Amino acid sequence: MTAVKVKITYCAECGYEEQTLALAKALMYEFASQLSGIELIPWEGGTFDVRVGDRLVHSMKRDGGFPEPQRVIAAVRGAVAGARPA
Amino acid sequence: MTMTPERFSTGLSYEAYKAAMSRNRERVEANEPKVILDPEVVRFFKGLPQPLNVVVLAEDWCGDVIANLPVIGVLAKAVGTLDLRIFYRDQNPDLIERWLNQGKYQSIPVVAFFDQRFRELGHWIERPASVTELRARKRGEIFATHPEFGSPDAPIDQLPDDVRAALQTELQKMRDETTPFAYAEVQRELRELVAAQPVR
Repeated sequence: MTAVKVKITYCAECGYEEQTLALAKALMYEFASQLSGIELIPWEGGTFDVRVGDRLVHSMKRDGGFPEPQRVIAAVRGAVAGARPA
Repeated sequence: MTMTPERFSTGLSYEAYKAAMSRNRERVEANEPKVILDPEVVRFFKGLPQPLNVVVLAEDWCGDVIANLPVIGVLAKAVGTLDLRIFYRDQNPDLIERWLNQGKYQSIPVVAFFDQRFRELGHWIERPASVTELRARKRGEIFATHPEFGSPDAPIDQLPDDVRAALQTELQKMRDETTPFAYAEVQRELRELVAAQPVR
């Protein structure tokens, strides 16, 4: 396991649960025990943010819409690789 | 999209919609007693020369539907001149495409008024702009008086759990305090919308 954690902040008043769970599921299948955690944060105001470690890899307000799962997976893969001991 | 009597009749009544809700029914019903009807608005709708057909687009997960649908439901019950029929947005893409917010957003609730011949008189979307503005200002005040909440534009996941919970509590309190204004504004806008179109 690495110290890489993924946080998904989603607007609970906008019905974004489905997209949140789909992304979390994709990450769980792809990385199994390689992540230290996947945190789901219910929020409001049209939010859908994905943070991998310290890096905000997607923000609905900044980037528009929902992220492509493959783009998030690529970001996580990079973070996991970077977090491995040399 | 043309609304027809046949299609209109397939919409759910307010009570049937609530009964079919898979979630948040208790939140909708908790909001009903908060609706203080404006006597002028009630008098206006009661005095319409003919009853109106009212199409509402909704989904049961939507915060603005939970907040504002009760206003329309309570008003319709009180005045008796608004035949309310509720349709699910996601099952009726042709309807929401007709009433996109700013031409691009599928915002709900949508409340569309039709006369007896199903000519549209006008439609209303989501919430009054005055409510959005008031709450944005109040939100700014909350952040200004609570430096521990950080910047209002900062990603919320960066706040410690306890601070985020405290912020959520403050925001909910603010929403509760502004609800009477919001409900009065919804009624005012619905009345002005219908008053702007002569009902023949």
